[in-house]
Amino acid sequence: MRFRAKIVDLACLNHFSRVINTIAKLAKTCTLRLTVNKLYFILSDRVANGGVSMWCELCQGNFFDEFQMEGVAADHNEIYLELMPENLSRALKTAQNAKAVKIKLTNKHSPCLKVAVELPSLSSSSRIVTHDIPVRVIPRRLWNDFREPVVPDFDVSIYLPVLKTMKSIVERMKNLSNYIVIEANLSGEMNLKIETDVVSVTTHFKDLGNPPWASEDGCQSSAQGRDLQSMAEVRIDIKKLQQLLVGQQVNPTKALCTGLVP
Amino acid sequence: MKCVIGGTHLRVFGRAVHAMARVSDEFCFDPIDKGLALRSVNSSRSAYAYVFFSSMFFQHYCCTAAPQPCQKERQLSLACKLIIKSVLPIFRCVNMLERHVEKCNIYTNAKDHHITFQLLCRNGIVKTHNLAFQECDPLQAVFAKHLCPNVLRAHSRLLADIMVHFPTSQEEVTLSVTPTRVCFKSYTEENTDFPKTMVTEIQLNPDEFDFFQVGVDSEVTFCLRELRGLLAFSEATSVSVSIHFDTPGKPVAFSIEDVVLEASFILATLSDSRSEMASQEPACFSQMQESSKTCTDKSIDKDGGAEAAASKKPRWNRQAQNTVSGAPASPLAKQVRSVPTVSYRDTAGTGGTAATKADDRAVLEAESPYHKFHSLFFGAVSFKEDATSHTFHSLATASDTEEDFGKTQSSQVL
Repeated sequence: MRFRAKIVDLACLNHFSRVINTIAKLAKTCTLRLTVNKLYFILSDRVANGGVSMWCELCQGNFFDEFQMEGVAADHNEIYLELMPENLSRALKTAQNAKAVKIKLTNKHSPCLKVAVELPSLSSSSRIVTHDIPVRVIPRRLWNDFREPVVPDFDVSIYLPVLKTMKSIVERMKNLSNYIVIEANLSGEMNLKIETDVVSVTTHFKDLGNPPWASEDGCQSSAQGRDLQSMAEVRIDIKKLQQLLVGQQVNPTKALCTGLVP
Repeated sequence: MKCVIGGTHLRVFGRAVHAMARVSDEFCFDPIDKGLALRSVNSSRSAYAYVFFSSMFFQHYCCTAAPQPCQKERQLSLACKLIIKSVLPIFRCVNMLERHVEKCNIYTNAKDHHITFQLLCRNGIVKTHNLAFQECDPLQAVFAKHLCPNVLRAHSRLLADIMVHFPTSQEEVTLSVTPTRVCFKSYTEENTDFPKTMVTEIQLNPDEFDFFQVGVDSEVTFCLRELRGLLAFSEATSVSVSIHFDTPGKPVAFSIEDVVLEASFILATLSDSRSEMASQEPACFSQMQESSKTCTDKSIDKDGGAEAAASKKPRWNRQAQNTVSGAPASPLAKQVRSVPTVSYRDTAGTGGTAATKADDRAVLEAESPYHKFHSLFFGAVSFKEDATSHTFHSLATASDTEEDFGKTQSSQVL
């Protein structure tokens, strides 16, 4: 099992750091899956009791100048590691003007992800800052727990408004209620509602646009043939939504929300 | 005591108070002839902070109190012990201080035991803070910087750039040097097979330092949290920071020196548990002997400011404190803790009272001669059967030798 990677470009480093920071805000521990071409950050909390599950897929070529991975076995050429993204975020935080950042999987006393940052200095040789992040190797028999979540059948799928706007609205609503209702329809309209004994507040969004979903097997999904104006609504824990929005440091080109009414 | 701090220097003074706050909950305001000294010792006596502002730092400085009708001569102001929590709010927003406050008057009223901080702000606003203080005998750590084989000096910016890589929760850091390499590494007590915490290490080239002298390869581990106060303070003054240290177990001193101020943070270092107690005994005794001589010499040469020359060997080992459960250790530990109250500074007329103020146990120690006093520190160690449990030794000790007791020694104050 081997893994070495190197980032030399500052913009890539910056972007990668921001992705890590976003993940660090969402979860205390998560799984890092390494394949030949991609990195995945996976969190699969118990969804049954309202947990958050996350799947983040990054194409290694977009960030790394060098990327070498040798998995656990020839036919299973992947590595699954459990780590605390907070550690990785902290290691990259002070690397913002680094000459190079090298990441390597080592096993001196125990498995570690070693992040070596080469910083410019006034003297002839650079300053080298090394961070040893303890990781746990996840055995192959547990790999099935980390499969890509399938986007379930849905009633409505809609593009979200600017996340910053949504974040400030949800933050204010958080003070009033524990649950928020998101309702959306296929005409690009979305409402965020909270309702308590004393007050009810609704924020309306228009002209958001709905993403086109090609149905894969030709059969009609429940969204097809749906009245364009009728709203589908879901009620979720407002704190979890806010946690998701607060952590967003990467500016997405598009953010989708899909809802299935049970 | 009365002094006036001008607007531009307030920031530096505020940072000094913040630095003291990192070390302990209380600190000592110690006005002497040449200037004002701030001192602080932490509760486990493993860190000592000292900042000295010479009279030139102030717009006005006067440390003598008005003579009382019954006294024939003017009395020197006594040292005041203040609670940091009361003083910190006055200097809370250090960066704002410069902008809003034009002057700060500080004066003490020895009769009422009150100290007043008066901030004269813009637009005619005057903020007055009256605080009660306790008279105290200032503690002084004795540490021979010039005897340290390893000396590093760097601009405070470099040290700040290094420490930024360690998380703010990082308690201890190890500095390891060889003639060709300098390395700062986070220290963790875990030695299990599956460590949970991240370990950070920074390697530097010796030429990054303004001055680099390594006499003995060494790795010293000290508390980073307490040091951060000094680093913030030195950034405010933008003066180089000097690091003096020796082998593990001996304290490390971080100091800065300027025309108008001086500061030293002396931190205990983790002793190398493999080193034998026996081999260290004679060394410390001989050092004591030799430096008690230099102590008097140095005190005559240099008054105010500098540290005394006797070297100290505090052994700081948290594990020892945890593991030592038996009766023999705790009375010693208690004795050691009460010892600092014995350290006195002769001020006219008050030298005698200092000893009586001390703890019962400590008084015993005060009566014994200087050598014996130190041997109480270290002698007890040699009597200990269990060589691996390191008793903790206080950094601070009586600064005056027995022979000098009774004389007016204001110039010997260090």
